Amino acid sequence: MTVLSWRHFFISIAMPVLVILCFAIVAHFIGGSIERSSIVFFISLTVVAGIGVYSGNSGILSFGHLSFMALGAYASAILTLPVQMKKLMLPNLPDFLGSTQLDFFPAMIVSTLFVMLVAVFIGLLISRLDGSAATIATLALLVIVHGIIIGARDYTRGSQTFFGVPRETDIWIAGAVCAFALVASRIFRDSVPGLKLRSSREDAISARSNGVGIRNERLIAWVLSAGLVALAGIILGHYLGAFSPKKFYFVDTFALLAMLIVGGMSTMTGAVVGAIVITLVTEVLRRLEGGIEVLGIQFPEVFGMTQIGIGLVILFVMFKRPDGLAGLREFDEKLSLRFLKPEHPAKSSAAQLPVLKDKAPLVADSISKYFVGVKAVDGVSIDINPGEIVGLIGPNGSGKTTLLNMLSAVTPATSGLIQMGSHTISSLTSDRAAKLGIARTYQNIRLFSTLSVKQNVLVAALSKWPRINIREAMARSDAAMEWMGIENKALLVAGNLSYGDQRRVEIARALALEPKYLFLDEPAAGMNRVETDSLMDALNEIRSQLNIGLLIVDHDLPLIMRLCDRVVVLNEGQCIARGKPEAIQKDPIVVEAYLGRKKQAGD
Amino acid sequence: MRIKTLSKTVCMAMLFASTSTLTLAQSLTIGMATAQTGWLASYDGPVVEGIKIAIDEINAKGGIGGKIMIKTIAKDVRSDAAQTSIAVQELVDDNVSVIFLPCDADPAFAAAAIVDDAKIPAFSTCASSPTLPLMGGDYMFANFPGDNVQSAVSGKWAYDQGHRTAYLLYSPESQYTTLPLYFGDVIEQLGGQVIGKATYKLDQQDFSAEVTKIKAISPQPDVIMTAAYEPNFPAFIKQLRSAGVTSQVIGSDGIDSPTTFSLGKASEGVVFTTAGHATPGSELEKFNALYKAKTGNDSDTVFNAIGYDLIKVIEAAVLAANSTDPVKLRDAIAELENVRGATSLITYKGTSGMPIREVSLVRVNNGERELVGQPAPDANLVPEPRLQ
Repeated sequence: MTVLSWRHFFISIAMPVLVILCFAIVAHFIGGSIERSSIVFFISLTVVAGIGVYSGNSGILSFGHLSFMALGAYASAILTLPVQMKKLMLPNLPDFLGSTQLDFFPAMIVSTLFVMLVAVFIGLLISRLDGSAATIATLALLVIVHGIIIGARDYTRGSQTFFGVPRETDIWIAGAVCAFALVASRIFRDSVPGLKLRSSREDAISARSNGVGIRNERLIAWVLSAGLVALAGIILGHYLGAFSPKKFYFVDTFALLAMLIVGGMSTMTGAVVGAIVITLVTEVLRRLEGGIEVLGIQFPEVFGMTQIGIGLVILFVMFKRPDGLAGLREFDEKLSLRFLKPEHPAKSSAAQLPVLKDKAPLVADSISKYFVGVKAVDGVSIDINPGEIVGLIGPNGSGKTTLLNMLSAVTPATSGLIQMGSHTISSLTSDRAAKLGIARTYQNIRLFSTLSVKQNVLVAALSKWPRINIREAMARSDAAMEWMGIENKALLVAGNLSYGDQRRVEIARALALEPKYLFLDEPAAGMNRVETDSLMDALNEIRSQLNIGLLIVDHDLPLIMRLCDRVVVLNEGQCIARGKPEAIQKDPIVVEAYLGRKKQAGD
Repeated sequence: MRIKTLSKTVCMAMLFASTSTLTLAQSLTIGMATAQTGWLASYDGPVVEGIKIAIDEINAKGGIGGKIMIKTIAKDVRSDAAQTSIAVQELVDDNVSVIFLPCDADPAFAAAAIVDDAKIPAFSTCASSPTLPLMGGDYMFANFPGDNVQSAVSGKWAYDQGHRTAYLLYSPESQYTTLPLYFGDVIEQLGGQVIGKATYKLDQQDFSAEVTKIKAISPQPDVIMTAAYEPNFPAFIKQLRSAGVTSQVIGSDGIDSPTTFSLGKASEGVVFTTAGHATPGSELEKFNALYKAKTGNDSDTVFNAIGYDLIKVIEAAVLAANSTDPVKLRDAIAELENVRGATSLITYKGTSGMPIREVSLVRVNNGERELVGQPAPDANLVPEPRLQ
């Protein structure tokens, strides 16, 4: 179910359940205001964990989730309100609602499903948006749903208080829902869609070119988080017994997002830490608001302190720990690094990448890319065969990277056709192309920096999921890491590696896609001679053993000349020469355009 | 002994970081879950001032009946229903004897089920919706003349002035702002006619659409009735008058604030119902003098006195019950008759929790408060309470 080992998986979900259970027992034993505050805390934590499922994994901060909380609260309240009360409060309800009354638990399930259905429709729109556009869209969602709830007076009493909701939520129900939300958010983080979504958070472009479509992953996270937040809204409604649309608007959005931000958006651990810190701060300040007597001195009543307090906490955390108090790792991940035996992949001969049988060449026919006023690539044709290494050289700005981007479908061609067997690559998105076997690396290294090396590679291997299961994907990513000699760095955070290692991780990740063609954009940049030599050996192996076709862009001409079967030379967007390396080196046009000038500059 | 008590107090204060809950044998603890911030603060603020003046006055004489001191625990509910629910539950945990709720039926409703379960009597400081005590259960009380009673008084006055056609401007966003619908019932029962209605939003500032509608009616309505208050009312009345509409405007207690008297020509002639008027020699005049002595300022709204009234009711109930037990207090409150408050004689006996109190009709005359009358409401004209 997840990409974690069973032992790790068990710890990661048993701990939160146990902690919540103990918390609930203690709170119940103390009773009184501690118990009530704990219920509110559990509800807040459910919301924060719920929002975290979407915002934490996708990296898109959502201001809109309280609208799902509101929809859940209102739906469940309407379903459970006694029929007599409905006649008085909501006389214009449609008959099927006005004359029915559900028990708490059925109403909870029905309402949650209803909200998730709504979330699917909204998610189809919002999952198309990236970054701040998506965030602003969620803000619009909050405002729109607030307006709808006020407008739907026959169902909600408009902006007036909806009261008479059966007060069913006790510490056990709140605790159970909270534990469920924590477990769901923890599992999702390391599920296949969760891991893919996190990769898109780190780098959307390279996630796509490693087979992550992003939209589906975002949609799944969106709907799941909407469901969790709706659950929180439902138990909140049945705890308060009365609420108005204001309860689900900016003020509470601010307080709950503060928890998410203070604790650290990307982990369940962060949700817990943030909820504890903000709850403690608000509870203490709220009680101080009413005036307090300390050592016989009566302090005056000061109302409005809690908001200021939360603001100060956020400021402090943002200065000291911009990733939140809990950072980027789950408690169990920190534990497993320190106490559990690190689970380096076993070096096994069984873990092999399959040898390619496909004979279809990759053919680009007269492709062009025009930017406004600039012909970056102008009518270039290029073909690569399986098991062949083609070099692509040319001065800076000659269009090499643009050509690579078109071949890997990262940017669409203005004109021309790219085909691989029966597939037209030029009409695909880069995640589709990746799934068909087009892999690439980037000139300026695009790793998923906060993920481990293993997770980086696994994301690519999982592009074949669910056709291959997670264990097979693991084996393939282990094999890919072995190919590049980085298996002993599998558990390190990718962003912390040396430059050369990061290049190797990027190539291993590309190999894990099991590509037919692999494009390398300056793979040797920043490497010393020894590293470059071992890289050349590895690339030669890849070509000869796996039968992958390679297209290499590099300024390291000795490398190109020694490695490549054929070389294509670009200048100012056009192909000026092609042929065997030896012939290219002597071609006067090439020497004039590139080598000669380079030599002069070099000397 | 003293050291022990002191250390205990310190411990409690440090442990809970909250108002000390150390209860002496002879004290009455009132939990105040009122709106000190948000849109209701301009009503609950003055009410709480009056409450404090009354408590100080009583405690200075050794407490209720000379022996029961009054203590308060205050929570800000930010004019919000959910926050009221949370604050009231905390007050229940603190074992208070009486709970005060915000000045509007909506947040007060949020507490209804809780006080009913806990069997602690609760008063909305100044909500006037008759449905609140009716639907809020046996432990829910109000502290203000009901919307329907105010409408009966203003409706009768309007009819007696010869006004026959009425235009109603109301907002369905809160119970109180639907008061004009009661007024419409009264006018129609008397034989008058409601010739139009318009609604507005509670944060609305631009009333040009509504004013245009009213201006277009021919002949013009005799009366325009609204329960709009700040910030709606000042905006509405200015736009209405500058459009040249001269119909009599009738309002209700929500505009009993200094703003209404400072609008110049726009609010001139507006008549509204409120809870009291400081006629010479009245209790209200005495209260206003007391307020001035305590605060150094003139009381500029009747809501100060309303707070004072509330403590007078509590005092009377404690004396009648001879106890601070919440259940006994509730029963005593329900039997109270003719309690002398600052604004009125107050009676709960025979009601469902909406007190019988005097209603004053006030006119804005040269920016000053002019008493139109303090007629007893005609019981036959008072509409049935209902959720609007």
